[in-house]
Amino acid sequence: MNKKTLFELLQQQGITRRGFLKYCTALTSLMALPPAMIPTVAKALESARRPSVIWLSFQECTGCTESLTRSHSPTVEGLIFDYISLDYHHTLQAASGAAAEHAREQAMKDNYGKYLVVVDGSIPLADPGYSTIAGISNLDMLNETVAGAAAVIAVGTCSAYGGLPHAAPNPTGAVSVSSLIKDKPVINVPGCPPIPTVITGVLAHYLTFGSIPELDELGRPKVFYGQSIHDRCYRRPFYDKGLFAETFDDEGAKKGWCLYRLGCKGPMTYNACATLKWNQQTSWPVESGHGCLGCSEPNFWDAGSFYQALSIPDGDYARAAGYAAAAGVAVGAAAGFVHQKTKSTAVAQHSEISVDDFSLNKD
Amino acid sequence: MSFDSLAEIKVQVETPDYDSGNLQSILSEIKFALEQLLQQNKTHCIDLRAMPWSPGEETRLEEYLGRGEISVELNALGKSSFYETRFSGIWIVTHYNQQDEIIGKLIEITYMPDMIYAQYEDVKNSLERLQQP
Repeated sequence: MNKKTLFELLQQQGITRRGFLKYCTALTSLMALPPAMIPTVAKALESARRPSVIWLSFQECTGCTESLTRSHSPTVEGLIFDYISLDYHHTLQAASGAAAEHAREQAMKDNYGKYLVVVDGSIPLADPGYSTIAGISNLDMLNETVAGAAAVIAVGTCSAYGGLPHAAPNPTGAVSVSSLIKDKPVINVPGCPPIPTVITGVLAHYLTFGSIPELDELGRPKVFYGQSIHDRCYRRPFYDKGLFAETFDDEGAKKGWCLYRLGCKGPMTYNACATLKWNQQTSWPVESGHGCLGCSEPNFWDAGSFYQALSIPDGDYARAAGYAAAAGVAVGAAAGFVHQKTKSTAVAQHSEISVDDFSLNKD
Repeated sequence: MSFDSLAEIKVQVETPDYDSGNLQSILSEIKFALEQLLQQNKTHCIDLRAMPWSPGEETRLEEYLGRGEISVELNALGKSSFYETRFSGIWIVTHYNQQDEIIGKLIEITYMPDMIYAQYEDVKNSLERLQQP
């Protein structure tokens, strides 16, 4: 760890207290904390030290790194390169070969027990030859690097759940980080790719508080993955009124009605796209007229067609949800709950029950 | 053609005329906060980036709140703009980074946003600089 605190580093650059407070404001927003927390963040950052970060890329497409390096706030390049010591990232670093591996070993030695390991990509177990770096298998590199880590951040759906490499028939025997690492905290930051501000938000949380954020049962930070896309969707009022687009160019689509019947996976997907949005808050999939693919959920690639409406198992759930809609109550919350709890059953029964079962027109 | 930042690509967001109901709820939060400011001297702050806006809704809120008598520009780690809306005590604060991208946008319900005041550490630093021969 760097000996200087973040505040001292900023002061050295001639940044005033106002500038520091502005940085804290942006960081608080980035961490999805309420603005009332700004003074707390400022206080924590006054004594925060730069953590060392080792980034490992396994079976991945580099989309997660792309997402991160294209992100902006609070000047993420600044956050990464000035306020976090990114000691190893074989896509971004200038060094290669033995020098690069040496940098990783040196960072581990200097910061043993304190550094963060970020992993993107899944780990092949069928044959280590499917993915190696400098002749080292992904599994060996993961085990060796994580041994001295404070925590592991699994960035992207591949490292969080296996992702696309894990999709049937999973030829490489791809697995997630959390299925291999049991003795260290693993923070899952899924998404294909994850929202860049969510990646930096998690790093910022560690930088600020020196701890990991509160996680849900899938190891995801609750501040970003605590609510379903559906619950935060601005098109939700249309769902509640039973107004759905039936095709991508009908009157409903033009009026911005709910995309549920076009296969939107919003009700079973937990992510922050509806509020944080993409490309500097310009838009997000639902806003540009396409349903959510559910990319931050396990096995999203194997969960049936992207364009088939979600369904819920027959029985009391459907009836209860139908009743709620008729009564004008927020049905999506119930549907979201059902989908989260019984998703595998729902996937199996895709074609049997449709959204009609809890729409307004049904008895 | 190459771009250094997304801000250079002009994006025109069309505004359909439907309402997600966000505006009503945020306006009632603002109203309540203003009461609290008057009665208990309690300030309040809303992070506009944490809201699930529908297209154009944020602009409509800003248009409704309008612009009041005072605006302040800050230059620290990029620009920041503070202005009081046509409703005194309701401020809109926007922070930009050095690339002029928005990194924070807030509504502050207060007599004056704290960041506008000279800060103790900076004043101390001024004195030290003045005392140097």
